[in-house]
Amino acid sequence: MKINVMTDILEANDRIAAVNSDVFNKNRNLVFNLMSSPGAGKTTLLEKTGEALKGKLRLGVIAGDIETSRDAERLEKHKLPVVQLTTGSACHLDANMVASALPHIDLKKIDILIIENVGNLVCPAEFKLGEDYKIMMLSVTEGDEKPLKYPLMFHESSLLLINKIDLLKYTNFNLKEAKANARQVHPDLDIIDISCVTDEGIADWISWLNQHYQKKFGTKTRA
Amino acid sequence: MHEMAIARNIVNIAVAAAEKEGARKITRVNVVAGELRGIVPAQLVFNFGLMAENTIASGAYLNLEITPVVGRCRKCQEQFVVKDYRYLCTKCRSEDIETVSGTEFRVKDIEVE
Repeated sequence: MKINVMTDILEANDRIAAVNSDVFNKNRNLVFNLMSSPGAGKTTLLEKTGEALKGKLRLGVIAGDIETSRDAERLEKHKLPVVQLTTGSACHLDANMVASALPHIDLKKIDILIIENVGNLVCPAEFKLGEDYKIMMLSVTEGDEKPLKYPLMFHESSLLLINKIDLLKYTNFNLKEAKANARQVHPDLDIIDISCVTDEGIADWISWLNQHYQKKFGTKTRA
Repeated sequence: MHEMAIARNIVNIAVAAAEKEGARKITRVNVVAGELRGIVPAQLVFNFGLMAENTIASGAYLNLEITPVVGRCRKCQEQFVVKDYRYLCTKCRSEDIETVSGTEFRVKDIEVE
């Protein structure tokens, strides 16, 4: 006998993600899911972002890692509200893990929440966490063909940050090619080149955040 | 790996659907996966076998139907299969393409005894 099912395989995750999203909206949080491979520079970017937003919008971080709380310790030095999620062996965060972090962070004191996913270019793109937007970071030491090798992540992201552009001259990374590859997979993708060493592009990144805050809440500053 | 989490979900969905109908054994599970999901079939089938052990889905055949990415041109409305992630209209060369399918991922139906 055949039984029709037609159930979405990630439905259980998506349902929890929708609940997370409601919680974020009630607390007036703009939420991003930041994804990249390990070592692309996510934590350094968050340190920079916290500094740049100081006195304007309040940044909070949920940091996902397989082991250790080193990222959280780095961010706490910058006095950012941060919760560390250690996933054990899991290669990605899912909505349930994020839900378990929420009681440990005061969302009312946060305007922009960035969820730093586990470093991995494949699995994190599959699982919604309740974010408003996905952001993908690619560093120039990784290679310009990555968008074609890992298309889903580039397809799902709203913004691509190309990091470590201060190292461009030491690599064979072709910036133009990387952007063409990324736009082939996702024509509407926003792309910003940045360096967390020289601060190039950081102002553009902050203004991208501000634009999206204004888009969600209709105001540039918090209520 | 996330194939493990996905395999667990597939088993849970299939078992719930079978039990609702009072079935005793699942023999086949048909899954539709869009190409953009980037599923590795061999790995998913292997993990499905592991996750199904000691359930009524134990020994069931997991059939994966991979569906292509289909795009629709926002300019000329042409609908076409997107090959190699090339989001370019095959008719008018526009890059303003919306994804119609290719991200779906569901248990379509199951066969039970």
